[in-house]
Amino acid sequence: MEKVLAMVLAGGKGERLYPLTTDRTKPAVPFGGIYRIIDFTLSNCLNSRIRRIYLLTQYKSFSLQRHIRQGWSIFDRELGEFVDLLPAQQRLHDLWYEGTADAVYQNLYTLQQEKPEDTLILSGDHIYKMNYQKMLFFHREKEADLTIATLNVPIDEASRFGVMEKDEAGRVTGFEEKPEHPKALPEDPTFSLASMGVYIFKTDQLVRWLTRDAKRNTEHDFGKNIIPETIKDIRVFAFSFQDENKKKKPYWRDIGTIDAYWEANMDLVNVDPQLNLYDESWPIHTYQGQYPPAKTVFFQAERTGLVLDSIICGACIISGGKVQHSILSPRVRVNSYSEVIDSVLLEGVNVGRDARIRRAIVDKDVDIPSGMEIGYNLEEDRKRFTVTESGIVVVPKGMKWR
Amino acid sequence: MANLLVVEDEANQRLLYQEELSKEGYRVRVAENAKEALKKIDEESPDLVILDIRMPEMDGLEALGRILGKDNTIPVIVYTAYSGYKDHFMSWSADAYLIKSANLTELKNKVREILKKKRRSLK
Repeated sequence: MEKVLAMVLAGGKGERLYPLTTDRTKPAVPFGGIYRIIDFTLSNCLNSRIRRIYLLTQYKSFSLQRHIRQGWSIFDRELGEFVDLLPAQQRLHDLWYEGTADAVYQNLYTLQQEKPEDTLILSGDHIYKMNYQKMLFFHREKEADLTIATLNVPIDEASRFGVMEKDEAGRVTGFEEKPEHPKALPEDPTFSLASMGVYIFKTDQLVRWLTRDAKRNTEHDFGKNIIPETIKDIRVFAFSFQDENKKKKPYWRDIGTIDAYWEANMDLVNVDPQLNLYDESWPIHTYQGQYPPAKTVFFQAERTGLVLDSIICGACIISGGKVQHSILSPRVRVNSYSEVIDSVLLEGVNVGRDARIRRAIVDKDVDIPSGMEIGYNLEEDRKRFTVTESGIVVVPKGMKWR
Repeated sequence: MANLLVVEDEANQRLLYQEELSKEGYRVRVAENAKEALKKIDEESPDLVILDIRMPEMDGLEALGRILGKDNTIPVIVYTAYSGYKDHFMSWSADAYLIKSANLTELKNKVREILKKKRRSLK
């Protein structure tokens, strides 16, 4: 198993997640109370027994670096296991990573040192549960040069993906990146075969294609420039996503927008969420501080600390306020007579007395003043905050009124 | 007239390549190390680079990456006495990998072939 190396592209800017990505790269965006988006991909590696991992970082990587150092220093280097960060080192040219393929190309020296038989290319932007070992087994069984993980997506959403065609043996016969008119599955005209951006390359083939691409003036992108060329030339196979989430519908999310972010969080407070965080056979690892347990205080007529249908993390104190259908990250304080509904509150938020918050995302360390209303008058909210099309209000990190 | 850049730290070899390749009708510039080569490329972009690997300070593999970082359309022939670097991924960026020999026929043929290919692709 030591013959495989994972390279996780963790430089995503996440521009459509602004202002959550003002100070952090997309993989470092907090999710589900205690997690960061990157934790899902790294937990997939951990649970798949792939423990030689490089994270390729660039934009705003400090928050990600700190999270990895604090939460993921769990591998045993003496056993050849590691998670290491590879920032753009400008070893080959004086630019930052120019595209996904360039990011890997610029780390040829690292590939050279490790010389893995196969290289697993992943993105740190997505939330899903997958056993990469099953894909690796398929890749070797097919004697593939390149294996691409695929997902069936509704045809009207397929234009966001690389859309593929395959023959009966699973060999990829067509690949179009973000096509205007995506091809449908032969067996179902309402779905398309989409690439998940998860690739296993024979390492020598990877290097061959990367060095070839580096000499061309392309966007140096796997989906746009490399994959479409490879299918004409080498053995490229499609591996159907096998969801370890074990629900009826496969769970895979690219949390690309604020609305998608809010919805994916809100799923978690449902009675039976689509994303199961409670499966002990597929633990999601993260960093958690040593916090005291969450608590509620006050049980008086108008002043009751009340939590309904919500996720509440450590060190939260619900002090005479009401929290309903919401997610509270660690160290959130909800003060008397206030109300939090359908919202995501990140670490260290303080909700002042009598404040009311609805359908909002409040980033870290925001101090909501007493009596403030958020999510009740979108006209007013637009003047102060980011408000999405569907009316989700985002209060940026550290905002203070005092 | 095609202009070549030969990067070679050993003075006698440098002289030999310059003479032999000039006879072929090329304009030949030389650099005795990678840093000088990078400077000369900035001054004037060559049509082709012939690059030694074992050199003091910056080796040819790193130089190869940096040359392509400046201009990824410059063809590079790695010309070394050692075959071992063929396994080094970085050398795969070169257009050709030749083992040094007293007889320069193979090198001359390869230079001609690559320049011809380049001219064709420019048309």
